[in-house]
Amino acid sequence: MADAILETLRGVVGPANLLTDVELSPYVVDGRTPKAAVFPGSIDEVSAVLALANDASIPVTPWGGGTGVGVGAPAARLGVVLGLRRLSRLIEHEPGDLTATVEAGATMEALQVALAARGQWLSLDPPDAHVATVGGVLSANAAGPRRHLYGTARDLLIGVTVVCADGAIVHGGGKVVKNVAGYDLPKLFVGAFGSLGVIVEATVKLRPTPDVEILVAARFGSLKDCGLAARAVTASDLLPSALDLVDGEAAAALGLDGERPALVAGFDGLAEQVRWQRAEFARLCEEAGGREVRDLPAATWAVLPVAARRALAEPAAVMRFSVLPARVAEVVERAGATARDVGLRAAFSAHVGVGAIVGALAGPRDAAEPVAAALRDWREAAHAGGGHATLEAAALAVKELIPVWDQPGAAFRMMQRIKRQLDPKGILNAGRFVGGM
Amino acid sequence: MTDARKRSLRRELEAIVGRDGVLSDPEELLVYESDGLTLFRALADFVVFPRSAEDVAAIVRLANREALPFVARGAGTGLSGGCLPSEGGVVISLMRMNRVLEVDYDNQIAVVEPGLVNLHLSWAVGPKGYYYAPDPSSQQACTIGGNIANNSGGPHTLKYGVTTNHVLGLEVVLPDGEIAWLGGRTRDALGYDLAGVFVGSEGTFGVATKVVVRILRKPQAVKTVLAVFDEITQASEAVSAVIARGLVPAAMEMIDQLTIQAVEDAFGCGYPRDAAAALLIEVDGLAAGMESQVERIVAACREAGAREVRAARDEAERQLLWKGRKSAFGAYGRVSPAYMVMDGVIPRTRLPYVLNRVNQIVEAHGLRVGNVFHAGDGNLHPNILYDPRVPGEEARVVAAGAEIMRVCAEVGGSISGEHGIGLEKADFMPFIFSAADLEFMRRLKDAFNPGGLCNPGKIFPTKKSCVEVGPVAHRPHAIEEKGLAQRF
Ligand SMILES: Cc1cc2nc3c(=O)[nH]c(=O)nc-3n(C[C@H](O)[C@H](O)[C@H](O)COP(=O)(O)OP(=O)(O)OC[C@H]3O[C@@H](n4cnc5c(N)ncnc54)[C@H](O)[C@@H]3O)c2cc1C
Repeated sequence: MADAILETLRGVVGPANLLTDVELSPYVVDGRTPKAAVFPGSIDEVSAVLALANDASIPVTPWGGGTGVGVGAPAARLGVVLGLRRLSRLIEHEPGDLTATVEAGATMEALQVALAARGQWLSLDPPDAHVATVGGVLSANAAGPRRHLYGTARDLLIGVTVVCADGAIVHGGGKVVKNVAGYDLPKLFVGAFGSLGVIVEATVKLRPTPDVEILVAARFGSLKDCGLAARAVTASDLLPSALDLVDGEAAAALGLDGERPALVAGFDGLAEQVRWQRAEFARLCEEAGGREVRDLPAATWAVLPVAARRALAEPAAVMRFSVLPARVAEVVERAGATARDVGLRAAFSAHVGVGAIVGALAGPRDAAEPVAAALRDWREAAHAGGGHATLEAAALAVKELIPVWDQPGAAFRMMQRIKRQLDPKGILNAGRFVGGM
Repeated sequence: MTDARKRSLRRELEAIVGRDGVLSDPEELLVYESDGLTLFRALADFVVFPRSAEDVAAIVRLANREALPFVARGAGTGLSGGCLPSEGGVVISLMRMNRVLEVDYDNQIAVVEPGLVNLHLSWAVGPKGYYYAPDPSSQQACTIGGNIANNSGGPHTLKYGVTTNHVLGLEVVLPDGEIAWLGGRTRDALGYDLAGVFVGSEGTFGVATKVVVRILRKPQAVKTVLAVFDEITQASEAVSAVIARGLVPAAMEMIDQLTIQAVEDAFGCGYPRDAAAALLIEVDGLAAGMESQVERIVAACREAGAREVRAARDEAERQLLWKGRKSAFGAYGRVSPAYMVMDGVIPRTRLPYVLNRVNQIVEAHGLRVGNVFHAGDGNLHPNILYDPRVPGEEARVVAAGAEIMRVCAEVGGSISGEHGIGLEKADFMPFIFSAADLEFMRRLKDAFNPGGLCNPGKIFPTKKSCVEVGPVAHRPHAIEEKGLAQRF
């Protein structure tokens, strides 16, 4: 990158907000170091940075808290890291409207703390909330156990301000909870990993903080029984806010001893609602062979989405599966067996009611082949379960053996056309998204 | 179009869908010249009735070859002119693709064809204790395909969300005639959320031919409360007061005095005639805690100044209260020869101000308005009453409607909560979107629909159009005449 461009960027964001050289070590991705990291202080500055980069065809890597930046195919070049951390204000919170507008660089935790002070919350509970930013969470479509009842970013994001590849500032959706004017642009940016535009502001739907919330676990002799219990729960009158299935390894990470699978349910609402549901949950689990129904501490909520990862000291790879809910137990069973066959430890946790599984694989860092072999079969297991899988984290050597993303099929042509329309020079997270977009 | 060309095209269309699957006689085409908003009319060259995605694809490819515009049509209950063939061409009616293809109770999903009537899906899964949540008031007639295109809502949207929150995947015939699945049966999209982008695209991104939707377990218990107010502002404030008590009711509907009186004259549903406004509030879910939720609602309404708050004692009384809410349209028919329904959204805390403004605007145009709407979502439906036989009155209704949209925009709201932009509101888009916003939407449209043949003339303002605009005598939609549905 020409020094002149670096100087112009420095002029846009101010010298204190541009990093180069050794300062860039926190921004290395898949072994690639960017040329610079810039931290604009306003939407207009974001726009100026992107317009410059676009003119010079320099790749841009949008960066929130960095917790999801590793997700993606290795980039040819990283270009400029565009950090959003200085855009972190809560712009508006109107409790009577159950909506809030927040800048993209605010951490999820900071947002939740501010909302909680007025008795509300954003019903999205991705991992690493103290680091993960609103913009990053939306872009990665990250979620947590409470998605079982409350949905994901696509259900909660009602308005978005985005800076496009060429620097244009665009608003989609609005501030009201119901709105069908124009195309539903918020949907386009959720899960797009910053490849279509940089989210700078978001308006979200909120919920009132429940009176009471609990987390309960039941243990099972087999994954199969655990899966059957999960189905009994979803087919019942219960309205759990979370329903997670963990294998024996992941159960240990939740502080449950004994290496047996567990079904973990969250309940919230009025005290009497929670009380009735806890009793009914225990009854349904016991009918399905469940034992040792017990309450878990509130701190366990935050561990649930990372339980599989935590179960292994340093996972060699993490894969996220999206499968049919009723197939979760059998997919976990099969994927676990594969890992054992190649002599690797594995751990699984799943938001079982919505079919979202995280599998973590331990393995020798230097031996990519057995890891890749297991992952290949995991992906097949996902397909057999009616779904797909994304390799969320792995060493570069593994990513070279197995693609990060699954094949989107006939819709891919349409995705490519959208990408070409909105980022014609391909500067946004260049080459890192599905199909090399 | 020359007669010779028309005859040869007809033969080609017949080869795809059969002789009984093509209409081209002007008399027959007349039935398809409007949707539920009779202000606009446009005649197609053909209406065709495919039975499969392959049929639709063949029709679309033919249309492309001939550079003929085409537009999908469900039941034609839309209220923004969305399914009108505004530049002529082919109307693709999905009414013969109306099957429930599969219900997977274990995974709580159903796969259906787009011409399936919304309510028929709930009927199909009802015996096993399930239902399809989005419940537009037109649900006895409107189709799932139309719901997808307009991202339709209903009274229970407040708690359960709109159509997009219940759609997982779609098989679509893209505007170039290729068939593709957008999304699928699992929850998380692979790549861009194209199903999410397709929903609400008002038929401009292609024709949906199969739909994967979520079905929900019926709630264990339901309670319905009627709160009566002497001032409309109190009712508006009660809406926010209920929310402030940490409650998210399943539905929260407001009915104003003009509407109450019309309903009581016509049907006698037990609403007090002298009330300025009433709120119909429903909570559902677990049986446990139901009573305390009702208590909280009663307290919130009392605090906001309600003179009377009562819960329906039994299912019969509950049905009667809902009948009052739902039969408002039929009731307007008794006090006015015609009316036009507006659709706008505002932050619900702005209800007191906006309702006032709406009344002022309509009065200034020398007209009357009845309000009955989804108050919990801030989704207004002012119904402006008028007489189409009086010269100029319809034009005044349209002018008042535009002013109401401006007010919605000014308070940070939207120009449509559920009826869509279609032809009706294309010119209002700049009220809430900048030139850059609209340019971005155009680029997105060009990705799906580069030739612009798929439902042209909608959402974005356009010059090229052969749409006729009123004045025309208001005609109730066929389903309203049959007493099957109300207009909001
Ligand atoms: C009495 C009455 C009450 C109403 N109440 C409500 C309400 O409570 N909530 C609400 O949201 N709306 C309501 N509406 C509006 C209307 O019913 C909805 O917009 C409905 O979803 C339209 O469905 P339809 O099958 O009639 O679609 P149509 O009117 O036939 O078409 C609507 C749009 O959908 C497109 N379309 C249709 N099928 C497909 C397909 N397969 N693929 C792609 N595009 C397609 C059309 O091109 C058009 O743009 C009401 C209308 C009436 C007349």
